[in-house]
Amino acid sequence: MMNTPDRASLLHRIQAEDFALYEVALYLDAHPGCKKALRYYKEHKKLAAELKNAFEEQYGPLTIGGNRNEQHWDWVSGPWPWEKEAN
Amino acid sequence: MWTYDKKLQYPVKIKNPNANYAKIIISQLGGPDGELAASMRYLHQRYSMPYDKVRGILTDVGTEELAHLEMIGAILYQLTKGLSPEELKKAGMDIYFVDHTAGLYPIAASGVPFDMKYVGVKGDVIADLNEDLAAEQKARVTYDNILRLVDDPDVRDPIKYLRQRELVHYQRFGDALRIAQDDLDSKNFYAFNPSYDQ
Repeated sequence: MMNTPDRASLLHRIQAEDFALYEVALYLDAHPGCKKALRYYKEHKKLAAELKNAFEEQYGPLTIGGNRNEQHWDWVSGPWPWEKEAN
Repeated sequence: MWTYDKKLQYPVKIKNPNANYAKIIISQLGGPDGELAASMRYLHQRYSMPYDKVRGILTDVGTEELAHLEMIGAILYQLTKGLSPEELKKAGMDIYFVDHTAGLYPIAASGVPFDMKYVGVKGDVIADLNEDLAAEQKARVTYDNILRLVDDPDVRDPIKYLRQRELVHYQRFGDALRIAQDDLDSKNFYAFNPSYDQ
């Protein structure tokens, strides 16, 4: 079985992918017809979705709709983004 | 961090522009008990809140208030769209128009610009949650007053929805205060926060 990366390194990869997505989204706002940027967005969206899926499976929801636990609403479980342990 | 959903939380569809209504409803954009103040209050209280459940409530209510800010923005946009300078003048909105044209600038109905002084962040669980309970009631009263002044059902409908959300938020802050008080010593009759007094 593949080793699961620790919380912080998985989160850092998600932050990097999300940043790439956001950056190109801002570019696309001004250049909505750019095919190269659209392709880039599509590729990175897929990568980000895979990473987020792995994260939420292991460490809990990243967005309010991401709760997987059927016994408990893990949305309210720490650590919270402003805490050192979450970064 | 935040992401944006490209939809209103509840629909706003106003057939007849009305500058008189816009003039009073703008208080829920930038007034003392408006949606901007509400969001800023909860989202800044989160950091010093020691309970996970209460952090969740502050995060989610503070986020919903931004959606309400957008609904008020949509109401004001539709109420002022296409009005002539004469119509604005008749409603006394010429004094707004001269500085902001058709732009949405957060002010109170009295004309005072938005001020973070409307927002209390005391860094104390009991003080902050009591502030939030009062804030929700004050916003509810403002919506009641708007409903006393506005006849158009197209405007009243989303305003009634927003008023109802104040009641729900009040309930959740009541839960939050109970969660916090249950955690304090049962002999702590005055419900002070012991964490800074040891």
